[in-house]
Amino acid sequence: MLKDARPALGAASSTLTVGGAGFDIKTLDPGRELENGANNIDHATYDSLVTFEGEDLKTPKPSLATSWTVSPDGKTYTFKLRPNVKFVSGNPLTSADVKWSIDRVRYLKGNAAFLLEGLDEVTTPDPLTVVIRMTEPHPAILPILSSPVLSAIDSKLVAANGGDASPDAKTKDQAEAYLNAHSAGTGAFVLQSYTPKQEIVLVKNPNHWRGAPKIDRIVLRNVAEPAAQELMIKKGDLDVATGIGADQMRSLAGTPGVIVRTSLASTLVYVMMNQNPQVGGPFANPKVVQAVRAAIDYQGMLALAGKGALRQAGIIPNNFPGALPAAEAARTDREHAKRLLREAGLGEISGTLTFASDIVFYGIQSNLIAQKVQADLATVGIKINLNGLPYSVAIQQYRDGKNQLGIWQWAADYPDVSDYLVFVPGRTVAKRTGWMPEASPEAQQIAQLAKTTETEIDTPKRVALYQRLNRMIASYGPWAPLFQPVTPYAFRSNVHGVTFASAWMVDYYTVSKT
Amino acid sequence: MTLYRYIIRRVLMLVPMLVGITLLSFLLSHAVPADPVAANLGDQAAADPTIVAAFRHHWGLDQPLYRQYLIYLWNLVHGNMGISISTRQPVLLDLRQHLPATIEIAVAAMLLSLVTGIPLGMLAAVNRERPIDQAARVVSLVGVSTPVFWLGLVAIVVFYAHLGWAPAPGRLSPTITAPPFVTGFVLVDAILSHHWDAAADWLGHLVLPAVVLSSYSLGIVTRMMRGSMLEVLGEDYVRTARAKGVTRWAVIVRHAARNALIPVITIVGLSFGGLLSGAVVTETVFSWPGLGLYAFSSATSLDFPAIMGSGIVVAGVYVLVNLVVDVAYAFFDPRIRVA
Repeated sequence: MLKDARPALGAASSTLTVGGAGFDIKTLDPGRELENGANNIDHATYDSLVTFEGEDLKTPKPSLATSWTVSPDGKTYTFKLRPNVKFVSGNPLTSADVKWSIDRVRYLKGNAAFLLEGLDEVTTPDPLTVVIRMTEPHPAILPILSSPVLSAIDSKLVAANGGDASPDAKTKDQAEAYLNAHSAGTGAFVLQSYTPKQEIVLVKNPNHWRGAPKIDRIVLRNVAEPAAQELMIKKGDLDVATGIGADQMRSLAGTPGVIVRTSLASTLVYVMMNQNPQVGGPFANPKVVQAVRAAIDYQGMLALAGKGALRQAGIIPNNFPGALPAAEAARTDREHAKRLLREAGLGEISGTLTFASDIVFYGIQSNLIAQKVQADLATVGIKINLNGLPYSVAIQQYRDGKNQLGIWQWAADYPDVSDYLVFVPGRTVAKRTGWMPEASPEAQQIAQLAKTTETEIDTPKRVALYQRLNRMIASYGPWAPLFQPVTPYAFRSNVHGVTFASAWMVDYYTVSKT
Repeated sequence: MTLYRYIIRRVLMLVPMLVGITLLSFLLSHAVPADPVAANLGDQAAADPTIVAAFRHHWGLDQPLYRQYLIYLWNLVHGNMGISISTRQPVLLDLRQHLPATIEIAVAAMLLSLVTGIPLGMLAAVNRERPIDQAARVVSLVGVSTPVFWLGLVAIVVFYAHLGWAPAPGRLSPTITAPPFVTGFVLVDAILSHHWDAAADWLGHLVLPAVVLSSYSLGIVTRMMRGSMLEVLGEDYVRTARAKGVTRWAVIVRHAARNALIPVITIVGLSFGGLLSGAVVTETVFSWPGLGLYAFSSATSLDFPAIMGSGIVVAGVYVLVNLVVDVAYAFFDPRIRVA
């Protein structure tokens, strides 16, 4: 029925064509970017002190740093840099470059500056040693340092092109345009061209310190329509497709020449109920919160989320330490829900569920999730009005704390469980949901526990503390965790070494084509 | 008034019109109850007041509205349309990169609908109620009522996936190097730099999106031409011409069609604007990197400079096309005085 893939042309056999999800890019400047798509490119063109290999996001591995030590008080990290590493310009990598790059992120006050919260200072006792000192013990800093945002930039070259890493960087730095047209890193690939929203071309760096990559050229194209991606990968016009959804996954399964996989996203999708009585109304009542949790049909939700999605017990995704076993997840028990509602004694309850109606996340349409929540709550007598709004409007309302009910997601900003402390009373997500430490003795307790947990440096103790925190938030917090989604992706069977990590999608260094 | 002065006057009217457009786009985009901060800063960054303040200051959003507007106008007069928040490039550069692509498919679609629709409408009118007329009415109805999105996807599935006649969605194949950017129009740039393979590749990619985009205007042109022809064919002067012995085809083409075209020309002008904006859907389905895609993504990310820039360009092109239409009237119908 469908024609076979075109035979590889001479030069094209070492060109990788990627179609996909990565065009949410606003900038490729490591100091200013935060989007997945930008991380995907910057992970290929720059290197950081540490990295993760393949899909294992638990154990940081050496990258530009060959080894590191932590001081007994947990505040100071000393990294030994790899010798004889050169930037693509030919300039040698030194500790000064690492310091410059990190300081630049800090002082640009861009989208990703929060990654360096708690940083005291970076010092460079010698050209191959970098010392990072935090104000408090902060074990998350190690996985955070794997981020392409904190990669080493060629400070001499970029400073000559308008770059600035002084405390006034946010007004003085003019290097963004340069960095959007040239990569100034040590990575396996070099940026050849970037046409915003259209196409990015990377070519190999033959002098890369790990050895040249096996692919000569990578062309990333914005193929906005997932159905078009599906057709193109079937015909061989795409080697890798990263923007497909559950529908495409189903129809691509079993197609000769195409391999379909899913990658567990470090994301929690949840329903939130505002605890500010003026906004939440009846949903600020703890019994109502529990009733909502008991009314949702979680198996049905999983079916909507697609193959590979996982149940969530608590707010920490399953692939992080501190996650709770699925057996502890909330159970659908509609009788129990009705009982709780009667005990609450608020009569007939109705509310407005706000969500971003124009986005498809992880291949799932948000309106379907919203409609299911509405239907599930109707079975216990709670009447829900759906309020689908464009993303920028909906999220503004949510961030202003004005959502009564909402469906939102929290994708980990970095591969460490501490990112989920935003759910602690008084912190980012909890604040938007109106859950403050003063709300109840339990909330106060949780806030205190969080302070102890985030500075704990002993790993087994840390895990135990996060689990305890997670359990408490799951019981007393105003959220109903729905599921942990997966990102579907596909690639041709003649492409090897494809891995997909939620931090930066595909790592192109390990990829080869036959 | 001579044609020349008429054109000058119309072009001069462009200026107050564009100022009005900028004011309207500015007011509308700021009427949305959301902040560019929401669309451009992540959750963590948005929770940090210093980062939000830095962002707002960088993009001039901390100024009072009227000042923001005046600053925009001042820059515009100096040829500076600002920097796009979502591409970090000057908006003028973004428009130079994106507009030619949309014009390519809009012009191709318009030409296709005229070249097909006008003869079809004429044949339908002349052979009223006969099979060709029925066929034309079906074509017209299908063209107008079929959603472009669906038609595009079906076209891709049939002509690309199954038959292999059309290339993969996109403007150029990944294996072709784009010709050096001079005008932004692939055909022109390819000819200038002798990249014949790029020109041929582009032409192959153009067919499907142009055909799909032309469906709506084809439907309208066919219908309008048919109706207009029927009206003209009933006029006295047509009967007189036939009575004087002018051949049937000479009457149809030289006398009737030329007059029947006038309302059709109006439609062309109006629907060109529709093509520019309808191109969003076609561009999404066919991954054709044009203004539609750019305008849409700037709207959803509340990228004010880009929204204003797109608005000005689309309005400007629309006004220019309608100026051409009005001038064409005078050519087709000597009765229309431009005074």
